[in-house]
Amino acid sequence: MGRQRSLADLSYTLVIGTLALLALLIIVVPVVIVLTTSFTEGRSLKFPPTGFSLQWYAELFDPVKSRQIHRAVYNSLEVAAWSTALGVLLGSMAALGLARSRHKLARVGDSFFMSPLVLPGLTFGLAALMYFTLIGLRPSLNLIIAGHMIVTVPFILRTTTASISQLDPALNDSSQSLGASWFYTLRRVTLPLIAPGIFAGAFLAFMASIDNVPVSLFLSTARTDMLPIRMWGMMESTLDPRIAAVSGVLIAASFLLMLIMEWTVGLTRRMRD
Amino acid sequence: MFSRRSLLAGATALGGASLLPAIAHAKGSVASAIYPGTWEEAYRAIVAPALKKKDAVDLELQPLFAVDQIAKARAARGAPPFDTFVLDPGPRITGIEGGLFDKFDGKKITNASKLPAGTIDDWGIAVSAQVVGIAYNPKKVPAPKGWKDLFTDPWVSKLGLTGFQTTFGTVSLIEIAKIFGGSETNIEPALVELKKVLPKVAAVGQPAAMPSLFQQGQCDVMYTNTQTVATLKGRGVDIEFVKPETGAITFFTTLHIAKGSAEVANAYKYFDVALSKDVQEALTKPPYNLVPVNKDVPLPADLPMKNLDEMATYVQHDWAKINPLRASWIEKFNKEMAK
Amino acid sequence: MTKAAEWQLALPLALCFVSLFLAPLLLLIGVSFFDDDKITQPGFGQWVKFFGDPFSYKVIVDTLLLGVKTVCATVLLGYPLALVYLDAPPRLQKVLIFIIVMPLLLSVVVRTFAWIVMLGRDGVINQLLLSLGIISEPLRLLQTELGLVISLTQIEMPLMLLPLISVMSRLDPNLRDASAALGASRWRTLFTVIVPLSMPGLVAGCLLVFASSTTAFISQTVIGGVRLIYLPLLIWQQSLVVFNWPFAAVASIALLVSVLTVVSALSWLGRRSSGHLQG
Repeated sequence: MGRQRSLADLSYTLVIGTLALLALLIIVVPVVIVLTTSFTEGRSLKFPPTGFSLQWYAELFDPVKSRQIHRAVYNSLEVAAWSTALGVLLGSMAALGLARSRHKLARVGDSFFMSPLVLPGLTFGLAALMYFTLIGLRPSLNLIIAGHMIVTVPFILRTTTASISQLDPALNDSSQSLGASWFYTLRRVTLPLIAPGIFAGAFLAFMASIDNVPVSLFLSTARTDMLPIRMWGMMESTLDPRIAAVSGVLIAASFLLMLIMEWTVGLTRRMRD
Repeated sequence: MFSRRSLLAGATALGGASLLPAIAHAKGSVASAIYPGTWEEAYRAIVAPALKKKDAVDLELQPLFAVDQIAKARAARGAPPFDTFVLDPGPRITGIEGGLFDKFDGKKITNASKLPAGTIDDWGIAVSAQVVGIAYNPKKVPAPKGWKDLFTDPWVSKLGLTGFQTTFGTVSLIEIAKIFGGSETNIEPALVELKKVLPKVAAVGQPAAMPSLFQQGQCDVMYTNTQTVATLKGRGVDIEFVKPETGAITFFTTLHIAKGSAEVANAYKYFDVALSKDVQEALTKPPYNLVPVNKDVPLPADLPMKNLDEMATYVQHDWAKINPLRASWIEKFNKEMAK
Repeated sequence: MTKAAEWQLALPLALCFVSLFLAPLLLLIGVSFFDDDKITQPGFGQWVKFFGDPFSYKVIVDTLLLGVKTVCATVLLGYPLALVYLDAPPRLQKVLIFIIVMPLLLSVVVRTFAWIVMLGRDGVINQLLLSLGIISEPLRLLQTELGLVISLTQIEMPLMLLPLISVMSRLDPNLRDASAALGASRWRTLFTVIVPLSMPGLVAGCLLVFASSTTAFISQTVIGGVRLIYLPLLIWQQSLVVFNWPFAAVASIALLVSVLTVVSALSWLGRRSSGHLQG
């Protein structure tokens, strides 16, 4: 019996360990490839790269040569920040409203709010452009923010709902039966418990917005150029190594952001708790 | 948690969308669609400063593929998101049929006399030519002679195909169809022959992916234009252009003024500057490698022709005939190539 | 606010969705009922054309299957990683979180390049297998469904793992200890304790992965190539290449409905399992 168990546990460690290792490899290797390529000495995006140099980073940070890329980065950041902020507010409210409801309409509402994830972005972009034009709006950053909010809010909704469904409803009831107001219960009991879910969703939403192609393709203009659209153009015609350098910078910047979040609000602790 | 103020600001950002007036044009500017990538870089670096210097007009470039320009202009219905188009022959016909262009007056272009015959009409004016043929990697395979070679070893197992979604893909497939007995309106033979060799073919891809696939050695032969070949070569990629024995293909890229544009006068100024000798010559040089239409411009050695008039002997296609068939070709290509 | 009135919290988002999402969508449905690409002749022509063609059904099925395969691959690799995360000491957990979100930081455009490098004929995977002597001829990975699923697995991994980890890490560790103390093997503990309790996170992850992989247009066409045809390619061709918006509208509605059906089923399962646990 004991030996059987240790054998089973050994196979558990082996199988789980191997699969997890494979998962890590699949996650990490493409990132390593792009980062390695970004330090190439050559003039094109090629792996394995030739030599080592920082020239593409230097060119990327050159305010004249890469002016367009810089503008696209600022636009993408602005859109991602606003659409995520709005999404967190509206999405977590909606999740709180729907997750505990047993009403039939709540399920309908949930599917409705999730549907932007499954409607092809290209079609939503096209439909949104037709619609905004019809009601007399010109393409602008505000419209892109609105479009991105719609397609990224499901991330927030989904992760928040998952956290709420883990909550013990008795917790809520007991707080209120002890005389706490609904808002007090929300602030002191519910929100702290579902915060990891909201954070996870906000992070996903922010990154999804930064990387959104289809909605931006239709709603962006010369003044509101977005980063992935610019990179797509650079990849198609010129194999410009700066697109690898852009990724290098994006990864470094996000890591820095995550570290700061870790020190200030304890991002990973919130996810673990 | 978000402070009340940021919430308010957020609400304003969203609500403000409906309050904002339509984008007002800066004084003395023209908003122009341009192909992303090389075209955009070239026009930003050369045409925009030249236009600013000569006419004090700001060129606002909006990077969009031809199909996206048409889609946006159609969706906008009368309130064009930009003042000028830059298009290949297929989308050009779509634009004409869709009534998207303002009537064009060639007399307003001072450089008009420098252009080859037949490059100006009531809808727009040619600004660059494209020459399409076969590109191959000289380190991996010998030079193919023509389209037929693509169906035999050693090329077929290194072949990268694209479908009818691009202009260069469409005209190349038409030429392939012709050598197997097809025509401009009958591409069936090309698909039949392709299907036979399909298991050997290295890649059937999205046009945007072809440079990467070629660079990483997934395919070593493909059909494309001289400009792509020159650009990739300039970046150190092992690639050479071959003019097929049945002739290279050529077509013009044209400029058009959007119907409803409020900047028509500036659009003409922009066109004229883009067609001037100095600008065209600068656009011809690396890293841009655009094929000029101004006959005063000396042609780079890489191009397969000695002068622009020689292009009259190259294969050209009638896009008024091709356009109505293209949707069904795309569907056929899907079905025949599908696994 | 009473518990019964909590649903009102969903109203602001509902308002946004009605005006910014539902309205454009209704416009799209309206457009699908036009026979010509200029949108002037009302009729059912596009619907008849789409659903009268057996090829359309094949494409729908392939699209849904791609989603299912990607979900399976992501669960197979992602769930063990989540378990490793759960057992890891706090410091390692932090590192793991950083690694898990990595794919999100890599732009979709550059990512396609990385996978061409990985899966190509002279690519990293083939070179490795050749040098290890496992294969003698390069495998065809690029432009196959297998290659596509592998590359999608990377992209979708964070979407699976973040909800999964956020639910798993809230499980009471005593439960596992108790299970072990009662003599259950780790496998048994996994399938009788951890999996059922982590169901809401798993379902959330599966939903996100399924939906995202069935609409991942750029990966599908660049990594998968255009011989593998999924609905997003049809929609893109019809809307942006041949400008047949009504037909593109029909294809998008087909995608929306078929994917939503699967998503609702999963969602229902998730609700049922969590209801079961709480009840």
